Amino acid sequence: MSENETALLERCRAGDRDAFGFVVKKYAGRASGAACLLLGCPHEALDASQEAFVRAWRNIKRFNTSSPFYPWYSAILRNVCRSRLRRRARRRTVALTDGHGDSSSDSDPVLLAERNERRDALWRGVMKLSDPFREIILMKHFHEMSYKGIAAALGIPIGTVMSRLHSARRALRETLAGESS
Amino acid sequence: MSCNEFNRMAGAYLDGELPEEERRRFEEHLASCDACRTELAELKRLTEDLNMMRFKEPGDEELQRYWAGVYNRLERGIGWILLSAGAILTLCYGAFKIVEEMIRDPAISVILKVGVCALIAGLVVLFVSLLRERLVVRKVDRYSREVER
Ligand SMILES: [Zn+2]
Repeated sequence: MSENETALLERCRAGDRDAFGFVVKKYAGRASGAACLLLGCPHEALDASQEAFVRAWRNIKRFNTSSPFYPWYSAILRNVCRSRLRRRARRRTVALTDGHGDSSSDSDPVLLAERNERRDALWRGVMKLSDPFREIILMKHFHEMSYKGIAAALGIPIGTVMSRLHSARRALRETLAGESS
Repeated sequence: MSCNEFNRMAGAYLDGELPEEERRRFEEHLASCDACRTELAELKRLTEDLNMMRFKEPGDEELQRYWAGVYNRLERGIGWILLSAGAILTLCYGAFKIVEEMIRDPAISVILKVGVCALIAGLVVLFVSLLRERLVVRKVDRYSREVER
């Protein structure tokens, strides 16, 4: 992490909202992309990632400024998205037809950089995976975390990280194979 | 090493996460099995594609709007706190005044006085209980899982 960011985060801790603005803008793209993957659709991605920033600000006093900001924020975002998924699952048992996740625009890779046909197809495939699979793909491939880091963040053994990633990538290959045939 | 075992380890191998000893066994099998070599090549392509994926950086205008969304919520949070505090103070004051007047007024029956007092006491108990529930939920939901990490 740059010295610059440490200084910014110190200012945030002191209550400087402009400094927090810089931090938010720095991570906004990554944050909304991550929320989109965690939620499995782009509808609430912006809103969820913004809510997580608000929570981060309210808890900024508990943040250790000598550690990097994004992993800390990322844990908050994960909780925001998880509770939204839970709420959505509850709603779904009440109203089975809710339209979410059905339309093709739901999986549009609008948050992806340097798009091409292959990458678009890959994104759509990832979006079709189950919640835990999308989560671990996000951590490994977008956040470039090590198995050890993922295990610590999710509170699971490294062996589980390995087998979950294995299953996730296998499921992804099956989805992609089904698509092209 | 069996092909099955090879398969389960292939991802970790490509991610550079296999311990030395397992990697050696993995590579031995790789050298001797054509099917697994093909399989690994395919998985490698997928893994590399996944590694190349990045999230788009929003434009300046988008970023400005994004931050405005966060900022407004920060402000609104303070607004709600002030509003609730003001409302509670006003209501308490009003309730206190009503009770005071009623108790002084001999024309109002004792039953009504007791009734109103019970009503207000009930509201206070319910409010405190709701408040406590919210605070406990917040603590569990927020602090233990997110912040300690
Ligand atoms: Zn083999």
